[in-house]
Amino acid sequence: MEIEQALKTFHSLRLTDINHGVTSLPVVTEDADIMSVLKILRTRHHVWVVKDRDSMNLVGVIRYLDVIDILLPPEAHRFKLGMTSRTMKSLLGGATKAGDVAERNPLTIEEDATVLDALMKMRKYRVQVLAVVEGDKLVGEVSLRILIDELLRLMKVGGASWKQ
Amino acid sequence: METVTWLLATIGIALILAKIGDSIIERFELPGVLGELVMGMILGNLVYFGIVSPQYLPIVSGQGFTTDITAIANFLAKLGIIFLLFLGALDTDIDQLKKTGVTATVSTVLGVFVPLILGWFALMEMGYPSREAFAGGVLLTATSIGLTVRVMMDLGVLKSEVGAASLSASVMDDFLGIALVIFAVGTGGLLNLTLKIVAFFVITGVIWWYLVDYYIKFAERLHVEKGILGMALGMMFLFAALAEGWFAAAIEGAFMMGLTLSKLPEGKRLMDDVRAIGYGLLIPFFFVHTGAMLNLTVFEHENALILATVLTTIAVVGKIIGRGFGAWITAWGRGRDFLFTRENFWMSLQMGIGSIPRTEVALVDLMVAIHGGAIPPSDAPDFIAATLIFITVSVLITPPLLKWAFKAEIEKAKAMKVAQKVERINETKEKIRELKGQ
Repeated sequence: MEIEQALKTFHSLRLTDINHGVTSLPVVTEDADIMSVLKILRTRHHVWVVKDRDSMNLVGVIRYLDVIDILLPPEAHRFKLGMTSRTMKSLLGGATKAGDVAERNPLTIEEDATVLDALMKMRKYRVQVLAVVEGDKLVGEVSLRILIDELLRLMKVGGASWKQ
Repeated sequence: METVTWLLATIGIALILAKIGDSIIERFELPGVLGELVMGMILGNLVYFGIVSPQYLPIVSGQGFTTDITAIANFLAKLGIIFLLFLGALDTDIDQLKKTGVTATVSTVLGVFVPLILGWFALMEMGYPSREAFAGGVLLTATSIGLTVRVMMDLGVLKSEVGAASLSASVMDDFLGIALVIFAVGTGGLLNLTLKIVAFFVITGVIWWYLVDYYIKFAERLHVEKGILGMALGMMFLFAALAEGWFAAAIEGAFMMGLTLSKLPEGKRLMDDVRAIGYGLLIPFFFVHTGAMLNLTVFEHENALILATVLTTIAVVGKIIGRGFGAWITAWGRGRDFLFTRENFWMSLQMGIGSIPRTEVALVDLMVAIHGGAIPPSDAPDFIAATLIFITVSVLITPPLLKWAFKAEIEKAKAMKVAQKVERINETKEKIRELKGQ
């Protein structure tokens, strides 16, 4: 398969086709201890925070870079007007649970969207990962890593090599 | 050199000095904004004292110094307030705010209205017209929580019930302080003004709340460089124009746009870009510009000092009484039996003292009141001096007062630490004994 054709097919893929489900996702409930979040973030770039494991209602996301706010003391952040969000993420500022440090309302994309939609959204908001949702329910994720894997798989299936 | 050249040079100097001043003051664990104000004060007084001609440093206006070029500086400062409010609202977590407890809510409301009413009546007693006196009262309403958080953290009490309630209450009283200034600058009859306020909040807070999602989706489809940011800022300026037209308070529009946008993840993602424009240029310029408006010669007359003394006293006492009493009557949700206890009294006092510091919102309200005509140009220097004084005093007295109020908790924490240390030493001794026995 030519690279152009591979990309064309790749762009038109539905997220449902490449979704690996939630079993392998880094997920914690909002009442999970921050230490358990940090343990996951040693090897992952983000952790999804859900209300509970049964409903899987998406509450927020904790990204790798958020660890900076978690570890810094509150005074390292500036207070301007009501701007307390970063400060409140600090362990020393009183944060104890995953829900305290999660960025609420993370960027999401519906399961029936295409890979192209996902890429466009990622570029617009400069993010590497989007939550795939069905209403409020987290049903998967689409990350650059998954997209790269999928493209490589497509090219392999089509017999193309990177040399081309 | 042309006048525009001097304006550009002034903006450059103002920004560099703002950041240096901010950094110096932060080293003393005080709000950096004070450093920006001091730098502005130095720049402004170079002009007021005739050391530098106003045409070479067009940062001051009013008091006979207004020119076409200072009008541009004024406008830049106004953009600074708009961005400050937009960012503040954009960073708000509305879901968290909804969870605010009864104690924080009641103490916020009383903590806002007691200093407002005390200030209003005191200034009327001093002979100020009602509208101007009301504007003076509004300056005293909003707490700046940053310093309190820092001190509470140092004292190890931030995670306490009082610490958590103080944080929630201060976010809410920023909202009230920003909203109340409308009544100071709004003109026309009370009914007319009320109708305009209701219409404004219905449009920006209710209708727009539901439409903002579609608007951002539309912006996403434009596929242009920083299209979403541009569309969001565009709508913010339209809201600001509406608020400026209706009540001479453009900040309200910016604030409402930020608040509605804050519910969307797409809106939150704009924060870094908005912050870059705001804190990289406009907001520090606003604070330097405000500092530059303090003409030190104003202290040659006793009016400014009397006004400063009155406002400072009410700012401190009004907040302690208002917020403290608000916390006290709720008995921290522990029922009537707790109401007259010593613990309730001290916790409420701690809550009141934690609400003393004022900074940004007082300055924002001051500038809105001056530009909106609620404080006339003739009285503006006195109000600027008085506000900067009560801000400085409130910031300086809060740390020692908090230390005093939390004395028992600090002693308790110290005693616990000593006890834990003794326990650890005893455990080690025990282990050594066991090892020796073996």
